[in-house]
Amino acid sequence: MDVSLINPILSAFYEIIPQIGFQKIEKKNLSLVGSTFDYSGILINLAVVGSIKGAILIGMDLDSAKQFASKMMMGMEVAEFDELAQSAVSEMGNMVCANACTQFAKVGIDGLDISPPTLMIAQGGQATLPMPQTIIIHFLVDDAIDVKVYVGLMK
Amino acid sequence: MSVKVMIVDDSPFSRMMIVEALSDSGYEVVGEADSLESLIETYKSCQPDIVTMDIAMPGADGFECSRELRLLDPKAKIILCSSMKDEETEMEAKRIGISGYVQKPIDSENLINVIRKVLAPDTLYEQLLERGLETFKEALSQNVTRMAKIPVEFKNVELSDEKYMSQGITTVIGIIGQYSGSMIMDLSPESAEKIAESLLHRPTKNHEELLAMVAELANIIAGIACSMINKKEKAYALRVSPPSIFHGNTAEIVSPSVKIHNAVADTDLGSIYLGVGFKKGAALWM
Repeated sequence: MDVSLINPILSAFYEIIPQIGFQKIEKKNLSLVGSTFDYSGILINLAVVGSIKGAILIGMDLDSAKQFASKMMMGMEVAEFDELAQSAVSEMGNMVCANACTQFAKVGIDGLDISPPTLMIAQGGQATLPMPQTIIIHFLVDDAIDVKVYVGLMK
Repeated sequence: MSVKVMIVDDSPFSRMMIVEALSDSGYEVVGEADSLESLIETYKSCQPDIVTMDIAMPGADGFECSRELRLLDPKAKIILCSSMKDEETEMEAKRIGISGYVQKPIDSENLINVIRKVLAPDTLYEQLLERGLETFKEALSQNVTRMAKIPVEFKNVELSDEKYMSQGITTVIGIIGQYSGSMIMDLSPESAEKIAESLLHRPTKNHEELLAMVAELANIIAGIACSMINKKEKAYALRVSPPSIFHGNTAEIVSPSVKIHNAVADTDLGSIYLGVGFKKGAALWM
């Protein structure tokens, strides 16, 4: 996969996450895997259609997802990853990917559209995308929350 | 019955201009508000079909007012009226669920046009909801029958709207177009294996081949269903994304922003869950 495809997604993440209540975003590392990867906790799937297509997925373990939702909801306690928390993190996924489309437009890849988010919740789950390679961007948000963004896009 | 319009703008002059723009249009201005507080009260009492919303207002701005209004009534149809028109304004408005945009100074013909178009796509959306699942069911039946040579029958089952537990292999396909949505197909690894065997006339070589077969089946079903829908009405312009497949341990599947309509197909080789949902998008940006 063309690694230049990830810059717009990085920009979107850096732009949106502070807007929804977070202070610090650290990119820990970037890795390349095959078409299948493991996840445990939650995984938000957003499909991308246009001149590039595929999916952008955002994953967190369940505790991180609860913390993330709690911060998004102004510190409200999130004991269970309930409907409200699910809706909050899905909305984050939607905002990051919508913004990523704007960032792609800035570098000449325009006309992209995204589907509504579908959320998978599992321990020991696997995801397979129809691309030979998936890029995983590992972020640490506010020194405590691990967020992984999986990019499976092709031109 | 005339269309009821409510105007939200802090400037009495701007409100007057909109009332003026709508006179002789057959649209009836049923309420006016100049702040978040008066907006909520007026909306509840006059139940308008359309709300025109200024962006720059002292106190809560048009975005905040729109968010509050959509919390009160998720079906509220809001048209942003503003002198600002840039990409970020547009993106933010779309994320909130605002349906349309008119640039100030308001041109009567333009405003009426946008109101008409914001109200019009609803029939299209209702039709899509009505025939959407049926079309996907038809595409599934035809193609499973054709490819795996087995009869398919849909059974009536009570499924929770809120969440669904995967049977093992879930394929999610995103749909975009005039309305965006998702198709979810789910089946157990055993059923997938039996269907694959019937299709290939031999057992699958490995797990990858099995997943590829499932992905291809979902891809064909979604693609055919969307073209059937597009053929009936070009304006839908639906397109499908490549499939994402989720497997491994069983997962809970949630679609927080779109109501999924679902059905279960019964075959001799096992059952196939099918879920389809569409969301109303931002209608128009003029």
